Amino acid sequence: MIPSMGHASVLIGLGLTVYAAVAFVLAARGGDPRLNTSARRAVIGSFVAAGIGCAAMVISLLTHDFGVRYVAENNATTTPPFIGVISLWAALEGSILFWALLATGWAALVLHRYRDRYRQLMPWVGATLATVNAFFFAVMTWPGNPFALTSPVAAEGSGPNALLQNHPFMALHPPLLYLGYTGMAVPFAFGVAALVTKRLDEEWLRIVRRWTLIPWTFLTLGIVAGAWWSYEVLGWGGYWAWDPVENAALLPWLTATAFIHSAMVAERRGGLRIWTSALVIATFVLTLVGTFLTRSGIVASVHSFTQSPIGPWFLAAILVALTAALGLLVWRLPDLSGDGRPSGTVSRESAFLLNNVLFLGLTFAVLFGTLLPLLVAATSGDTISVGAPWFDTVTVPIFVALLFLMGVGPALPWGTASWSTMRERFAMPLLIAVLVTAGAVGLGLREVASLGTLGLAVFVGGIMIDEVIRGTRARARGRNEDHATAAWRLTTRNRRRYGGYGVHLGVLVMAVAVAISSGLASDRTVTLAPGETVTIGGYQIRHDRLVVEPLSTDVRVIETRAEVTYSGAQNGSLDTALRDYPNSQAAIATPAVRTSLAEDLYVTLLASDSATGVVTLHLFVNPLVVWIWIGGAIVGIGAVFAIWPERRARRVSVEQRQRAPAAASVEGA
Amino acid sequence: MTVSAPSDPMLPPRRRPWGIVVLVAVVLVVIGYLAFSSVGNALVYYLTPTELVSRGEAAVGETVRLGGLVEAGSISGPATDLTFVVTDGDNAIAVHSTVAPTRSFRERSGAVVEGTLGADGVFEATQVIVKHDENYEVPPSGEIPSEQVIDPGNEP
Repeated sequence: MIPSMGHASVLIGLGLTVYAAVAFVLAARGGDPRLNTSARRAVIGSFVAAGIGCAAMVISLLTHDFGVRYVAENNATTTPPFIGVISLWAALEGSILFWALLATGWAALVLHRYRDRYRQLMPWVGATLATVNAFFFAVMTWPGNPFALTSPVAAEGSGPNALLQNHPFMALHPPLLYLGYTGMAVPFAFGVAALVTKRLDEEWLRIVRRWTLIPWTFLTLGIVAGAWWSYEVLGWGGYWAWDPVENAALLPWLTATAFIHSAMVAERRGGLRIWTSALVIATFVLTLVGTFLTRSGIVASVHSFTQSPIGPWFLAAILVALTAALGLLVWRLPDLSGDGRPSGTVSRESAFLLNNVLFLGLTFAVLFGTLLPLLVAATSGDTISVGAPWFDTVTVPIFVALLFLMGVGPALPWGTASWSTMRERFAMPLLIAVLVTAGAVGLGLREVASLGTLGLAVFVGGIMIDEVIRGTRARARGRNEDHATAAWRLTTRNRRRYGGYGVHLGVLVMAVAVAISSGLASDRTVTLAPGETVTIGGYQIRHDRLVVEPLSTDVRVIETRAEVTYSGAQNGSLDTALRDYPNSQAAIATPAVRTSLAEDLYVTLLASDSATGVVTLHLFVNPLVVWIWIGGAIVGIGAVFAIWPERRARRVSVEQRQRAPAAASVEGA
Repeated sequence: MTVSAPSDPMLPPRRRPWGIVVLVAVVLVVIGYLAFSSVGNALVYYLTPTELVSRGEAAVGETVRLGGLVEAGSISGPATDLTFVVTDGDNAIAVHSTVAPTRSFRERSGAVVEGTLGADGVFEATQVIVKHDENYEVPPSGEIPSEQVIDPGNEP
């Protein structure tokens, strides 16, 4: 009953999105304006349908309805309700269902919000979004039906993926990432609409920039949460391995970031219209590529849970989206030419241009490294892998150059910079950076890469802080405000600029934490009998005893646990375990992480002998890792600050609504 | 009287910013150089024992991933000084490893070991990856062992 309802809602969703796509195109081509309204309602209806589908799946999971194949494969009678709910995105079919919910949600939100504005643009935006969403419903109707039934019905399911069960972070990382991924369809839709209607103007840029920044924020947080999950769960002591699926999430992030920056130049100085529309197209296509890589099982990865028949569907979607969008772009090229105002070699425009070249360089490098194994396998038949060292060699210099630009770019004036401006703005931060780096050398830091990143980060941070102080002082003097008020008003009236500074500050914190944690980490593999002690990075680690027993929360899971005491910069005891899940041949590592602001003590159990109690442990002391997550949070706060509607604009919109309830709102944009 | 080009201070005459063009070109060349100069060392081939044996002397010292089954009864030594044999049924290679594999490493389990073949014919492993697919089989020559799920517990 419930599964049939779910299946029916998928079919209804498909019907509604197909109808919406057709009706929007007809409305755009001068059809009955009521078509536009009904198409918009159909998109909202598809959101409701996807919601009912997800609800049906969650109910099936919670009631352990093993007649549904997805439930039989991802649930068991002993599965706790929380894990049951998040199993919605545990495997392919459920993920696509959840994906459809988010994608239709974005579409409904955007179409509803701009229902009375941009009358030429919006039907094409709607048509594009409805087409994209129809694709996901089609995937669920044919190759990846989440409500496919099985018979005979088993009495017990095989239980959720063991990795999913083992850490609550799985509730956070996929939804954030999916929100980012699906949201990138919105700027793409605006891009297509603008190319069709030839309205690539500054207003278009403002909307698209905003609607790129929103999913960008989710994507960023999703990537950081994924790295954190990897660190807390996988037990290899690191957080980023240049795994193909990590790369898949990074690729659209890189092009979206490039877009956000180039849109600023385009908005301010004109020009770059081909470039900016190409970037939104690339971002969306890369989200499809990412989904294809993740879900087709074509690359070896920690994430390739299942191989499935959806691969060809996504490949076809990538080709169609790419061909259609690029064709449209080429067709419109004559209308898009015409450059912006000229500028000098040393100027903010140049910094932004270089920023875009570097981000695109990164994108190509990461794409090349990720796809090379596929290309080699296809051409020579050899099976190869591209290791993390290659990615580090290629990307670290680019990241460092970007870090430098991050400080210098925003401080340079538009147009042409003079030597005196540069001296005035850069001399002091440079001096402080040199002093801090020298101080770090004095304190015993010798790693060149870590020192360089630290010095650069201080330089960049110094420029930003100096700018905020300068602006605050000028405002306080000019408007006779106290400094706190002046600082608040300065930043809240220029949200995009100072929100951007917040994001940059978070990136700086992350960069320093990554550089120092990878430069100064120490690790050691040791085999210890009960009672034996070993030393690492100032810690005394003592293996107390080995315990093998079923988990109290789920007796089918056998835990092999080493109980360890440690003393040094932190003191205490920790348990590090391997858990045997009934549906997983490999034991799942449950590393123990003791986090402090200065360093993490990280202990993984590799092997054990239950007869003698001897264990093999992998010990890590990772400095500053927690600052990567703190930096990620700062990035998120900065991005939200930038997205938040300007206060003045909101007040106007309230007044307008009071005067004329049906009038267009000017909020946001 | 000479008539110069209209000189509106707000609209300076167009000029190509050659400095930035050169800078962009340099950046692209550097990125390309970084990507291609190091790619040769970064590629790691997956080989079966038979493929490794057929490479003969050329295989010695080259970093490869060797995929196969851990031969029954071949495991000996403590976890940090382990010897075992990886086989594909036709050929077998002795492996020595000082890095502890995860506990799912056992006889007859599928394994991929990364490392180099020594002149003495013993493969010195720098990394042991246990395949934990229930249906793991030794891939036929030239096929992709990577399609199986890699045990994340032992990723780099």
